[in-house]
Amino acid sequence: MSLSRIRSASISCLTLILALAIAPVFTAGPKFYPDDPLQREPESRDASGAKEWDIGLMYEISMNLFVVPRHKPSNTRAGNVNTIDELPDSSWFTNRIGRLPLRAEDIQRGPNTGKPPASERWVIVAEKQGGAKPGFTAEDANGDTWFVQFDDKDRHEASTGAVEVATKIFWALGYNQVETFITSVDPKRVDFGPKATVRRPSGERTPYTRKDLEAVLARAQPNDDGTYRAVAGRRLTGEVLGGFRYSGTRPDDPNDVVPHQHRRELRALRVFGAWTNLTDLKAGNTLDTVVKENGRSIVKHYLQDVGSTFGTANGIYDWDIGYEHFYEGDTTAKRFFTLGFGLSPWQTVPYTEYESIGKFEGDRFDPRAWKPQTATPAYMEMRADDAFWAAQRVMAFTNELITAAVHTGEYSDAAAEAHLVSVLMKRRDKIGRAYLPAINPIVDPRLDAGGALTFDNAAVRAGFAEAPTRYRAVWSRFDNAAGTSQKIAETESNSTSMTAPKDLPAAPGSFIQVDLSAESAANASWREPVHVYFRRAASGWTLVGLERLP
Amino acid sequence: MRTLWSCAVACLCLSAVVRPAAAQDQPEPATRAGQIEQEQKAKVLHPYQPNQAEKWLNYAESTLTTGSGFHPFFISAYSGGGFTLGAGYLKYISPYNTVDVRGSLTFSGYKRIESEFIAPQLLGGTTKLSVLGGWRDATEVAFYGIGQDSSKDNRANYSFEQPYASTLLTIRPAKGLFKMAAGVEVSQWQSGSAGGRYPSIDTVYTPATLPGLGAQPTYIHTQGTLAIDSRLAEDYARRGGFYGVTFHDYADTDSAFGFERIEYEAIQHIPILRDTWVLSLRARLETTSQKEDQEIPYFMLPALGSGSTLRAFSSWRFRDRNGLLMQAEWRVMVNRLLDLALFYDTGKVTAHTSDLSFDGLKSDFGLGVRFHGPMSTPLRVELAHGDEGLNIVFSSSSSF
Repeated sequence: MSLSRIRSASISCLTLILALAIAPVFTAGPKFYPDDPLQREPESRDASGAKEWDIGLMYEISMNLFVVPRHKPSNTRAGNVNTIDELPDSSWFTNRIGRLPLRAEDIQRGPNTGKPPASERWVIVAEKQGGAKPGFTAEDANGDTWFVQFDDKDRHEASTGAVEVATKIFWALGYNQVETFITSVDPKRVDFGPKATVRRPSGERTPYTRKDLEAVLARAQPNDDGTYRAVAGRRLTGEVLGGFRYSGTRPDDPNDVVPHQHRRELRALRVFGAWTNLTDLKAGNTLDTVVKENGRSIVKHYLQDVGSTFGTANGIYDWDIGYEHFYEGDTTAKRFFTLGFGLSPWQTVPYTEYESIGKFEGDRFDPRAWKPQTATPAYMEMRADDAFWAAQRVMAFTNELITAAVHTGEYSDAAAEAHLVSVLMKRRDKIGRAYLPAINPIVDPRLDAGGALTFDNAAVRAGFAEAPTRYRAVWSRFDNAAGTSQKIAETESNSTSMTAPKDLPAAPGSFIQVDLSAESAANASWREPVHVYFRRAASGWTLVGLERLP
Repeated sequence: MRTLWSCAVACLCLSAVVRPAAAQDQPEPATRAGQIEQEQKAKVLHPYQPNQAEKWLNYAESTLTTGSGFHPFFISAYSGGGFTLGAGYLKYISPYNTVDVRGSLTFSGYKRIESEFIAPQLLGGTTKLSVLGGWRDATEVAFYGIGQDSSKDNRANYSFEQPYASTLLTIRPAKGLFKMAAGVEVSQWQSGSAGGRYPSIDTVYTPATLPGLGAQPTYIHTQGTLAIDSRLAEDYARRGGFYGVTFHDYADTDSAFGFERIEYEAIQHIPILRDTWVLSLRARLETTSQKEDQEIPYFMLPALGSGSTLRAFSSWRFRDRNGLLMQAEWRVMVNRLLDLALFYDTGKVTAHTSDLSFDGLKSDFGLGVRFHGPMSTPLRVELAHGDEGLNIVFSSSSSF
């Protein structure tokens, strides 16, 4: 044996020993606990010790352009789903659309719980931190603090509208969002707080002056009356920690135990991002804050800036956003060796372009081909079950809800507003068509006390697939402690209901497993069963488990 | 193999010792929430520690953001100096104004050391002031004779040292398309003989056959530019154009070598199919006229041949009183950081403006790659072919 092999073997042994020594050791527990499926992710520890960090943009972009895309996805199930393959509420995510009966007015209100800014007077208290759009931090006439952002010159209503609409959409999808309102700023009614400073190119901070305001407004698009349309985001309460990373965990947050690349809501941004063209997935557009909840400090995670959406992520002379990462080896080689004649889709896709919407279309859109500016580890780790979960939420946006969300953008051009609504609907449907039939789409299984099993087919219900010729259920007793099953019987049906075999266990606390599959010539993947688990209670059967993919 | 088995046995023994103790510390949770809480409780907290690569990139980001501190400097003392290495140190002396001290050295011994003060935000950000002072030494500058018909085989070398001090004011009224610049420079050209592989110029020519040979004029050089510039940036652009004229007056303090020079330049970038390609065109015309009873020294004549004019020809290959240059590039956007370009250069130098026609042009063509950012071209590598063979160009700026 060579020295290197001996060294390698020794290191492996030591690693194993250390792992055994420090890892929490559990004896094999039951598959389902009494509190399954969890509806709320426990956050039991005090996180007040978490400290602010700064995530370097150059490092993050370099990693996400040159290292992350080479990463082979682990194909592991999302680490924060509960036993029925759903997300419990958490400091990251709150189930809304698809769980709650949201109405148009709910979407239009979104995260807003307070009053809009009193815009008759603004006092600038700080310059804008990060982001390419012009803006500042200011107190309104009521003394509330807001992050104020303007539209770029020649892009009237684009940035402000995108922030407003996307905030409502991502709030409905379940993400923590900042309260935002469309407002206005009259430069004549702007004052400067005594502590407001600007970081000059030298790094020195000097007082914020009217010239600085003029420099900001010189980049912004004024209204005809000399005022400026703006979007104002209310300052978050709590201690600001900086953004979150799309991989690993915060080492100083005890409750953060699921690596972020395995959090379903972050993986699902690949679908939600494709729908809204949220291309700027970087830590700088996220924010962690320490807040008190139930007397304990926890870290709350925000998708803080969702303004790089729709067509606004593309600059006037950018067409590749949403189609390519900032750097890709294969397209680089193709263009290099063909002298540019090896065209990519973005070079020919037709756009109906509105100043306030930008380059955003739904006819050529392919959700599977959509790409953010840089790939995040969570983006790379998304699996078919994550995409299925996300697509269900996108499909839960009815035409009415989309129209309501877009209306909050207060676009002055009705045609632009109608265009955005239309494109979002087209892209929604393409997402549903791409992801719902891709794997076994059986959802919402229910078993009543009388033995009637009903379920639904998400792909068929959405009209994206023909109903299968028949459904098949394999019924088994399930030993929760041992994790083993014993087959009872098989049943079949050509509808989404069937009757259970007669000899199901009747004792409270007993479990059964039902493997549900479908026979569809067009969708071979439906033959792979969804594993469904029910627990017997006195009143009947309760769904405790659903595994769409292993 | 026996070592492996020994390790495995040791592992098993140790794990047998470790597991029960740990199991006693961690009672099996009765609920899912309890299981997760136990995991949270077991997490060992510590502040985030960036790895070495992250530290380096954070440092680079910080340096690039402010631009202050040490930086590379690849500008040679004079065109034709060859591969250049150099460094500088930039320091902010006020919120916007900087002083940069820098120097460079080439493999052929060209040296430059200078310091520049820049105030970029005067008059509401419309005006930039540069004050520059320095000294340079070019040891082997090529001279092939005067005129379009000079021979490559007739190369001679000269050298010069030059202390210089200048100030340049660049104004963009209302930060719009119009650009104006005005400046004055005082410098002394201490030309002389040279070493190297080629004969020194004073062994081939005499002051009678070559105006300015051995001269050491001190110039007060004033200049003024009027232009329309719609490019996003001078050093990298995919659209927009530059149309300008610059007037130079070189007043010799001894009234022996004074002259005037006018440069007309037009650049246009035409994007095609969403910037897939950019057709970039440039035309430049230079004319000179000597002042009464004075001469234009050979080393101040307009010239063609270098990495940004006739790229297949050596630096300073053609010199005469007037120069015409036309260039076309077919630029291919390979990705956001890399362009490929096919180019064609053509031009001529003449003794009289009336000879500035399209006859007898010297031409070349080639292929190049450019590593660029949104507004600059830090590296350009090109292979050019012309009548006199192949030439490889390395440059730290765009061609035009």
